[in-house]
Amino acid sequence: MLLSPPFNSRTLPNRPLRLFAGAAIATAIATLVVAVLYAIFTTAAGAAAQSSRVDVLHLVGMTSIQAGLTTVLSLLVGTAIAWALNRLRFPGRDLIVGLFASAIVTPGLIVAFGLLAVWGRSGWINQTALALTGHSFEVPIFGLGGILAAHVILDGAFAARILLARLDAIPERRLKTGQSLALSPWTRFRVIDWPMLASSLPGLAAIIFLLAFTSFPIVLLLGGGPANQTLEVAIYAAVRLDFDLQGAVTLALVQIGICSSIILAAAAFAPVSASTGASAPPRWRDHGLTRALQWAVLAFGIVGFAMPLVAILIDGIGPGIADVMSRASFWRALGTSLAIGTGSALLTLTLALGVGLGRAATRAPLLRISIGAPAYAYLAVPAVVLSLGAFLLVRNAGLLPETAAPVVVLCANALLSLPFALATLAPPLDAIAEKRGRLIRSLGLTGWQQFRAVEWPLIGRDIGVVLALSFCFSLGDLGVIALFGTEDFATLPLLMYRALGAYRSNDAAAIAALMLVLTITAFVLLPKLVGKLTDA
Amino acid sequence: MLEASHLTYTHPGATRRFDLSFSARPGEVTAISGQSGAGKSTLLDLVAGFLEPSAGTLTLDGIDLLRLQPEERPVSILFQSETLFDHLSAGHNLELGLPRGKPRDEKHQLISAALTEVGLPDVLGQRADTLSGGERQRVALARTLLRDRPVLLLDEPFSALDDETRTTIRSLVKALTARHGWITLLVSHHVDDVEALAARRYQLRDGMLFET
Repeated sequence: MLLSPPFNSRTLPNRPLRLFAGAAIATAIATLVVAVLYAIFTTAAGAAAQSSRVDVLHLVGMTSIQAGLTTVLSLLVGTAIAWALNRLRFPGRDLIVGLFASAIVTPGLIVAFGLLAVWGRSGWINQTALALTGHSFEVPIFGLGGILAAHVILDGAFAARILLARLDAIPERRLKTGQSLALSPWTRFRVIDWPMLASSLPGLAAIIFLLAFTSFPIVLLLGGGPANQTLEVAIYAAVRLDFDLQGAVTLALVQIGICSSIILAAAAFAPVSASTGASAPPRWRDHGLTRALQWAVLAFGIVGFAMPLVAILIDGIGPGIADVMSRASFWRALGTSLAIGTGSALLTLTLALGVGLGRAATRAPLLRISIGAPAYAYLAVPAVVLSLGAFLLVRNAGLLPETAAPVVVLCANALLSLPFALATLAPPLDAIAEKRGRLIRSLGLTGWQQFRAVEWPLIGRDIGVVLALSFCFSLGDLGVIALFGTEDFATLPLLMYRALGAYRSNDAAAIAALMLVLTITAFVLLPKLVGKLTDA
Repeated sequence: MLEASHLTYTHPGATRRFDLSFSARPGEVTAISGQSGAGKSTLLDLVAGFLEPSAGTLTLDGIDLLRLQPEERPVSILFQSETLFDHLSAGHNLELGLPRGKPRDEKHQLISAALTEVGLPDVLGQRADTLSGGERQRVALARTLLRDRPVLLLDEPFSALDDETRTTIRSLVKALTARHGWITLLVSHHVDDVEALAARRYQLRDGMLFET
């Protein structure tokens, strides 16, 4: 039975300019990917005769073990926190949910440094233990344990936010049925919660594995030596420390191959939806031990995620901050970070809008894939690899890397944010075309009228999210700037990393605190600001 | 006169073929009734241009409509839902129905006059999602007035309304159709709507129209 006529190409407004713009951007992006890969391949071929000291098998093994353990632990932690948050209601719950949501933009460098501030030799725990008992309480924070802890803090919080959205979207009727059957807490989880979570888990696992596999700053800071090195860090070390370009290129190719396989595998799973269902007031409460367990899980989650960040703020915003702020190098780095963050956020938005609007203007599957796919290619090319490719391209073009650095860093950061930007903008743009296309077409609106009156107000908040995500990603980036940074061209993360390398931990703490404040401010305010601006 | 002759269409993947012929006169409502899923909305989509027939003709006063894109057809549509852009004010929704390039004052006058004609002079600045179902349909009718197209397609426009509002909006549609000489094509599975409005009636059965 056909109650309403199908959505087809004639219900879509005719927008050849959008199609053209989308296709042009897609072609430019694809060309750049090909150029980067070509630069890497030709360098690999040209240097084939040279010998390299990199142990690819060990690195792949170490990276896989680290990413695999991170994935399992993050999903366990994320599921437990989502379960607790779904059941509990309390003042400030939205703030806690927002805290976990911010994990996606919290720079790894900051979390790693926060862990050191809490669990390191001079950290809170050890200092308190020394003061109270006279004995030290040192946790082996450098090595696999530290890497896993930092990853689980970030990725567990990210998983919790995604899985909470799934639990909050459980239809109320299903809950009422379960409650009328007096299901036990375990049966409720198994029968009602698990089916909702299970469909998201494979896709989420693939994303977390990819994030951990390509993690750079956390491993750089907490790796503790070559034994725990991952591919990304090894590429950086090969280029910057060992000048082993052949080794770096080999590792980059391995990295691209593995990341592509993970993405292809992930594409087979159901997409991870971050849509937040209306969270109904919980009429079905758990009691006794179960409720106590929920509070305990939530407390553990909040302390685990927030403590490193709070430690950074407390350690960083102290007398040392005035010293840091009195230096010209700090202001230069802050200016560079803000300029690159703003520039790359605007570039990301422009590219994502161009691709998203172009994709939404057609129903032809092949055309939609051709326009959208190049933007997602950057998931398979992690920051350090993209940076290496750009480094080789610039060098092959006869330019000095430091000359091209600002443009390359800005563009690379924009391209790395593009998959997330497109994943945010494409679904609402498609939904507008599907739901409103007939009305738009029957009214004969022009492309500009369609954008100004319909799309812009409806996706205003999403545009804010895209700007916030890409600004924060860029602000916290160390992978791209690590290869292109110079004494004169540095961002806050690079300045912080250098301060750590020079054992100026007070400086590093102050810079980390400022970066954290900037990140949280941008993440919270930008979506609201842009949402207000676009509100009709 | 709007005339369709053997307008033929088959939904992709479906076996049932529509073969539709009808005529509708200005100043009166022509009703198409039929069971749910009979294809009433398909017929409207063919007239509006959202679906492309494989054969047949569709003319308005002798002019071929099939070669025109949806936005070029002399047609206004009132859907059952999604009639207005919820995030815009009533006034802004109406403005989208006006030809571009008109001076601001003239636009304002036209919009106010249209809202007055449908009995809603005070909702100009109100967001569409704060309007009741009946008010939304009236605003959509006001936009139809501004668009001034000779054909009005009504796709179950009263279905979501309560009885009292339904009666009011039906009377309004009938009056506007007569006053502006519109060719109004109504699809509905409610006998009451058809009885109250239609000067000419068709029944859609097995993909074909039968005048009743």
